[in-house]
Amino acid sequence: MWESIASYGLAVGAVYAMTGITYNVMYSASRVFSFTAGMLGMLGGVLGALFIARWGLPVIVGFLLVLACGALIGVVTELVTVRPVLKSIEQHLYVLSTLAFALMVQQLVAIKWGTDAQPFPRLIPIGEGLLDQKFWLPLLACALTMGGLEFLYRRTLVGRAFLAIAEDSYAARALGLPEQHLRMASYALAGVIGALAGFTGAEMLLAFFGNQSILNFYGFVPVALGGMGSNRGAVIGGLVLGVFQQAANFLVGGIFASVAVFVVFIIVLLLRPEGLAGASLARRV
Amino acid sequence: MSIKRRQVLAGSAAVGAASLASGLAAPAIAANEPLKIGYLPALTGPSSSTGIGITRGTELAVKEINDAGGINGRKIEMIVRDTQSDPTKAVNAVAELTQRQKASIIWGPLNSGESLAATPLIARDKVPMLHPCWVDELIDVKKYPMAFRLAPTASQIGAGANRYIVQVLKKKKVALIGDTTGYGTASVNTYLPMLKAMGAEVVYSGNVDAANPDLKPDMLRMQSGGAEAIMPWSVNAGFLARICNTRAAMGWDVPICGQTTLGSGQTKALLEKPENWNKVYANNFRAVCFNKDGKLPARAEEFVGRLKTAKVDMGDTLLWWIAMGYDGAKLIADTVKAAGDKATDVVAYWNKLKGWPGVYGTITFTPEQHNGFQDDEVIMCEVNSLKDGAFNIAPGYSS
Repeated sequence: MWESIASYGLAVGAVYAMTGITYNVMYSASRVFSFTAGMLGMLGGVLGALFIARWGLPVIVGFLLVLACGALIGVVTELVTVRPVLKSIEQHLYVLSTLAFALMVQQLVAIKWGTDAQPFPRLIPIGEGLLDQKFWLPLLACALTMGGLEFLYRRTLVGRAFLAIAEDSYAARALGLPEQHLRMASYALAGVIGALAGFTGAEMLLAFFGNQSILNFYGFVPVALGGMGSNRGAVIGGLVLGVFQQAANFLVGGIFASVAVFVVFIIVLLLRPEGLAGASLARRV
Repeated sequence: MSIKRRQVLAGSAAVGAASLASGLAAPAIAANEPLKIGYLPALTGPSSSTGIGITRGTELAVKEINDAGGINGRKIEMIVRDTQSDPTKAVNAVAELTQRQKASIIWGPLNSGESLAATPLIARDKVPMLHPCWVDELIDVKKYPMAFRLAPTASQIGAGANRYIVQVLKKKKVALIGDTTGYGTASVNTYLPMLKAMGAEVVYSGNVDAANPDLKPDMLRMQSGGAEAIMPWSVNAGFLARICNTRAAMGWDVPICGQTTLGSGQTKALLEKPENWNKVYANNFRAVCFNKDGKLPARAEEFVGRLKTAKVDMGDTLLWWIAMGYDGAKLIADTVKAAGDKATDVVAYWNKLKGWPGVYGTITFTPEQHNGFQDDEVIMCEVNSLKDGAFNIAPGYSS
């Protein structure tokens, strides 16, 4: 039981964590909470199965194509659903145009790919049980993502420009930073991370159009738990969520496991609305 | 002419329907008016694999009848409307077929979602209707006195699986699991008391989200409860494949018995190993299964011979779908031949129909019972035995 809780819990949790990071990367650059994170995860699995299993492309080519598609869809999201809205409204935390875009893409996938779950190929056949890629690949991808983002944000000029925009976009623009280009690059980066989450988790979650809504919700939970904009919080929140969800499957089982997750989620948000790792904002007077 | 999936998908629904209709209906060379039958298959969309299979049988029956001179000299004109797996389209098509085309009898729709929407409208227009959908509520002699079913009900399907577990395999401890859809929850709620009434002990019953990637927790509960058989009720191939895969990973060899999706190609594609499909049994029908000697029943064998002669493709579909389609058109033709095409006469004939020998099943209706399929014709088959569109009957049946 403990082995199953740890293996499945951490693997699913890593996928949730990367989806949470996808939310954060888009949010940091635009202050828009884009509902396309789950869509990117779903597409990572579906496109991976399409390129590798159905078209027979080499794994590395298929993988790079998936990431490229994720980046492209991230750019399209910014251009089509975020930029026009940001031009015309002041308050824009939740932009429903992103949700509409995500639902449209999901319907297209359902029509073209089908509504049945389809297999995702085993890419690295090095072992069974805990050595199966479905357990360690999402964790590895999550660790690399986190390490890569830390390096980008703390060691590179572009990363610091991202942070400057996230901190205060008006001041950043006043200093001459190209805000629109940086925002578009952030959405491309988010697209890559979201697609990576779906790709690495697809052997476990399968290539299924319905994964979009699951990842949209369970990817949001670590963001809310960890604090909006905090990638470290999202990783911890995602892993905790995955392990808790799997433990609830064993303890209460069936649909009650989901209920248990929701109950804990609501309690945490009631006690700490800013998230477990988030800082309380002081009100300006 | 036989319909290929790619042909259907390649053209628009309207073009497809029109070409189908023209292909089925020969020119009116007979002196009498052709018999108009409204046919409502889903030839595109998620339910199209069933619709295309059934249509191959329907087409063959119409061709045979028309080639033989028609019904008392009248050719059959099958007016086909592709419902596109969409209840709204089915409803629109019903209005056209009953009111504008003045179809004498409606064959279909072919799936329950569309039939639930279409049946009240067909009943309102007082047109006799024959369909193969499983949802129990679709037949109600008071609400829909002109609606008849030539396939089993969902209750008969569940009862067939229950009988196999309890009476054939003699398993007394059963785990009953469904997904969280309406179908999954309704099935668990319906079949649980049925199993108990048969003397089985249901050691686990529950509903699990079909997207849950790990079913081990619930399957461990089944195992610790002493389950001797697992009965999953879902049409989600991912959910069913995970049950098969988890059973294998646990080194557990209890039989898995359930709905026909267990034996689908989608489920097979999601298995981690082909042997995970061993000891998995899905609903099927005695009249179209290979028996213990590897032979089809005589009627089905003769039918398969005709399918081969007519070059009807069986490689990408199931024999029982084709047989059901054939039976639908043939029963309608036999009815009109015996009783004419007046609605009241058709219904009166069907109300007295006894032991009509179809390929898919033997049909009996009464004024009180418009469900024509017989309980004992619903059996289980070995899902890993598919050959020429048919399966082997599951082990343990006497014949």
